[in-house]
Amino acid sequence: MEKQRYERPMIKKLESNMPNKFGMRTEYRPMTHIDNVAVKDLIDEYGSPLFVISEKTIRNNIRSARKAFETRYPKVQFAWSYKTNYLDAVCRTFHQEGSWAEVVSGFEYDKALHNGVDGSKIIFNGPDKTEEDLNKAIKNNSLIHIDHLDELYAISEIAPGLNKKAQVAIRVNMDTGIYPMWDRFGFNYENGQAWDALNKIMRTDAMELVGLHTHIGTFMLSPNAYAVAAGKLADLAIGIKDKYGHEIKYIDMGGGFASKNKLKGTYLPGTDINPSVNDFAEAITGALINSNFKPDNLPLLILETGRALIDDAANLLGTVISNKRLSDGRRSTILDVGVNILFTSFWYDHKITPAQPFTQYAEDTVLYGPLCMNIDVIRENISLPLLNKGDHVVIQHVGAYNMTQWMQFITLRPRIVMIDPENNVHVIRERETLDRLLEFEKVPDHLKTFDL
Amino acid sequence: MEQKTKHPFQDSWHSIMNSYGQVFFSKSPVFAIILLIVTFFDVYAGIAGLLAVAISNAMAYFLGLNKYKIVEGAYGFNSLLVGLGIGIYFQPGVEFYIILLLISVMTLFFSVALEGVLGKYGLPYLSVPFLLGIWIVIIGTKGYSALNISERGVYNLNDMYAIGGMTMVRLYEWFNNLAVPESLRIYFKSLSAILFQYHMFAGILIAIGLIYYSRIAFLLSLMGFYTAYYFYFFIGANISELTYSYIGFNYILTAIAIGGFFIVPSRRSVLWVIFLTPLIAITLSSTAYVFSIFQLSVFSLPFNIIVLLFLYVLKFREKDMSKLALVAVQQFSPEKHAYSFNNYLSRFGSLPWIAMKLPFWGEWKITQAHNGKITHQDEWKHAWDFEIVDETDKVYEHDGSKPEDFYCFNKPVIAPADGTVETIINNVEDNEIGEVDVKNNWGNSVVIKHADKLYSQVSHLKKDSIKVEGGQTIKQGELIGYCGNSGRSPEPHLHFQFQSNSAIGSSTISYPISSFIIRKKGQYRFEVSALPGLDQLVSNITTNQMLKDAYHFNPGKKLHFETEQDGEVISHRWKIESDIYNNTYFVCQSTGSKAWFKQIGDVFYFTQYRGKPNTLLYFFYLSSFMVVTAFYQNMQLKDNYPLTVFPNKKWLFLQDFCIPFFKFLKAEYTIKYASLQKGGHERITLTSTATFGRGNKTTGNFAFTIQVTPKGIAQLEINHSGKTIKAINKF
Repeated sequence: MEKQRYERPMIKKLESNMPNKFGMRTEYRPMTHIDNVAVKDLIDEYGSPLFVISEKTIRNNIRSARKAFETRYPKVQFAWSYKTNYLDAVCRTFHQEGSWAEVVSGFEYDKALHNGVDGSKIIFNGPDKTEEDLNKAIKNNSLIHIDHLDELYAISEIAPGLNKKAQVAIRVNMDTGIYPMWDRFGFNYENGQAWDALNKIMRTDAMELVGLHTHIGTFMLSPNAYAVAAGKLADLAIGIKDKYGHEIKYIDMGGGFASKNKLKGTYLPGTDINPSVNDFAEAITGALINSNFKPDNLPLLILETGRALIDDAANLLGTVISNKRLSDGRRSTILDVGVNILFTSFWYDHKITPAQPFTQYAEDTVLYGPLCMNIDVIRENISLPLLNKGDHVVIQHVGAYNMTQWMQFITLRPRIVMIDPENNVHVIRERETLDRLLEFEKVPDHLKTFDL
Repeated sequence: MEQKTKHPFQDSWHSIMNSYGQVFFSKSPVFAIILLIVTFFDVYAGIAGLLAVAISNAMAYFLGLNKYKIVEGAYGFNSLLVGLGIGIYFQPGVEFYIILLLISVMTLFFSVALEGVLGKYGLPYLSVPFLLGIWIVIIGTKGYSALNISERGVYNLNDMYAIGGMTMVRLYEWFNNLAVPESLRIYFKSLSAILFQYHMFAGILIAIGLIYYSRIAFLLSLMGFYTAYYFYFFIGANISELTYSYIGFNYILTAIAIGGFFIVPSRRSVLWVIFLTPLIAITLSSTAYVFSIFQLSVFSLPFNIIVLLFLYVLKFREKDMSKLALVAVQQFSPEKHAYSFNNYLSRFGSLPWIAMKLPFWGEWKITQAHNGKITHQDEWKHAWDFEIVDETDKVYEHDGSKPEDFYCFNKPVIAPADGTVETIINNVEDNEIGEVDVKNNWGNSVVIKHADKLYSQVSHLKKDSIKVEGGQTIKQGELIGYCGNSGRSPEPHLHFQFQSNSAIGSSTISYPISSFIIRKKGQYRFEVSALPGLDQLVSNITTNQMLKDAYHFNPGKKLHFETEQDGEVISHRWKIESDIYNNTYFVCQSTGSKAWFKQIGDVFYFTQYRGKPNTLLYFFYLSSFMVVTAFYQNMQLKDNYPLTVFPNKKWLFLQDFCIPFFKFLKAEYTIKYASLQKGGHERITLTSTATFGRGNKTTGNFAFTIQVTPKGIAQLEINHSGKTIKAINKF
């Protein structure tokens, strides 16, 4: 029999309406294993903190997302949103599952090429595309989604020199009945900017209009907004066909599907209230099928879903540094996970689960990170079992944005491992070292030495 | 030069030659020349025959009848027979030629009139016009004193002497004394009697021509004749009917017509020939008895009666039409009928060619197939049930207690092919999981009519989810409604069946899905014209527009390829044409070779090739025999060529004799979807092979590489016995 764990004593006010002799129990289980690999073994071998990505979950996510759309619409293509998580191993898992690449900078574009994605399967979004980027994208027949008129003019200047027709789409922003309305990217639908841009494209030989793109927001909780957006893009596409006799090849609905994370300020957990990929699929495909496209001539539907496909595929393992009582009596726990590597803790109340068994007693706690900065708060208030120094926790649903938006700040960034479908662990990103960081730095000669 | 604007002389030449060939159902020019020569064994009769054909065809032309049929000899062969018949019967002279002119035109009229009457019933007019023509002349001219009955034929030797002097007489004697068995002698003489000749030499010449034209026809002629011969012995009939008047050609012609010309040669057709022969014998005796009252010969009357009767009866069949199949497109060769029919049947089946797709998007699993254990039995055995499964093969998520938990619930159901919406039920409640509604067995259903006797039905749809209305036309891929759980459905699923009428729940018919994809253990497989089976994960193919455009050939389109051989550039110009039956084909403008093709749904098929086996069109035919216009990396497809394109003609000659019974030659086709390059330089590479052999032995092998670009088929590379030919499309 295992030795009973020591848990510090605590006093808790009984707040339940229907008291019984056991008090309120905390009914959840420790997360001791990820894909059958013990959390303790992972930390022992790869250190703490540690990002752990499940390849199996990624594949299941993309497959069920594809199924959700492909059983509702005849032509569907997913494009992996690089900015969500551009680790090569992650991108390549998506590419193996048939996803194209969706990039928003020259750096991401090069990364997609480096991953072996054919230029014609890279969608180039974003407001900042340099002349050099456009040059490359036109040469590689990539799909350039134009964000503003200056970009449109740049393409019409560059393409003729390359003797090629740029494959372009425009990004359209529109009122889909949600607030805030995203109107900083692309051309507005309601005020005629979109038509203005389309007219300009149709009247030049430098570009071929291949698609229409929109991206109505992020972490959307209303599938109906997508139906409105899809309907408006369909109207545009049919308008182009009527006016110019030109058929676009695809409609790109962008991303923005909510994942199962709990947004700050919401009351119920995300798993209960956030719409599923199926709900979004139902809304989008329904709008397209019921639009005026001919049934035998529906355009390809492209989806740039990022967050919803990767969030729950990654966990962040951390270790308790210390417990502390605050001046107002609240408990606080310091973890070795800081906001510098868990950027999303600003948006979400991440679900955090201890990685070892615990009793039913739980206490409200503030979770701090290790940084010597006041902002370093992982959870302002969380009910956790009584953790000891050295205990491990699993921070769940951290796959989206953390591994791209993290920063080297005060501490060095940790390792990332991936567990493959056969439960083998692979390091897919090494931990940062001082040497590696110093490689970027240069010290002017006169600053090289000093005496203290 | 355009294929269609032939020299007028060429047309008249063909129309005359084909008129001779048509007597034996042939369009072979060699056989026609042999027949022409044989008719000139009696010079006057030969002249009369030729004149009759010329008059008849010229008149048909001036009357403005169908040029195609004139060239085919359809209006000439009856006049030819009349000409030959009266040419033998009467002495030549001005009076005779006037009568010949008149009766030739009369026979033409009979041909056209009978074509109109019998054509309505889909029947040929055979040699009925000849019978009418010759009987009229023989009876009608009895009182014409200026016409003299010919004495030729009475004294054979005199005729021979007149033709070739003493040598000819000796040759004739020698020939007649050859140690040929009596029965064979009668067979040859019967053959020659078709052209009103009554000697063995003519018969042998015709037999040689017949073998050259068609091995099967020759075999059938022997079979028909000998069945009759032994029947006469067996029944104790008057054998002199065979030996004296050589009326035995009736058996020969019937055997060819039934055994291989109007019916696809097969074991069954041969058995029918043997069965029908005694009937001809009886018809022959009885009609001869009646006609003797008028001092008339029955000529080919028994043949006409039996063939027309039998063909007409066959038209009334309602099932098993493919077992004794009528020839749909006349190719004037029993061999071609046999090879292309068997090939055709295995490729397209015997039903109308409508490309049926699966009635949904994405991948579904077949949870009950044809002859399913649960409900797909008896009259409803040709049906499928579909559901959607996840990675772990489960059909629902959560606990599966609500219809909404099932993956297939509320998923779109689409039209499998173009058609008209016939019947709709839209108001049956969806069941709770585990409940069944046996009162409304089919639940919410839609029946779509695609063609006569071809309807499809989808059932168990969600209540009030049907998006179409009765009577509206619908396109393939159009939304019908959503998958539900109504009717006899304990859990949500989609029931799909083909049937022959519009009532919901009619008995089912077996009809293939034109093209789909099966996923098995992560591997994808194309299926063309097949029935999906139990537990298969199936989805519709996603068309590749570039490939589809490249393999889309409208009549009138022209293609120009160039090959380089020994530093010399050769041009190949093809044109797409269509015939009166709406068959589409390629014509090579320099070699005249033709390749027929079909486009059914997402599949391009070549069906036949006619021409030399070394033209670029032949290679194109072999290389693109079946192309599914979708791209799935490394996917492979197989098919079999019709043996008519087998390159080694000697082996094919042997195969011809036994094709009604068995096949020992093989001609196999494979195609592989090698690579796809996207973007501005979009390019698809297909590799295909043609393998010919005997039994298990491979005797010939071709490897092809086809490059497809947005402009079309850009390049075709042919590798054969170490040599490479590269054909570039000059767009």
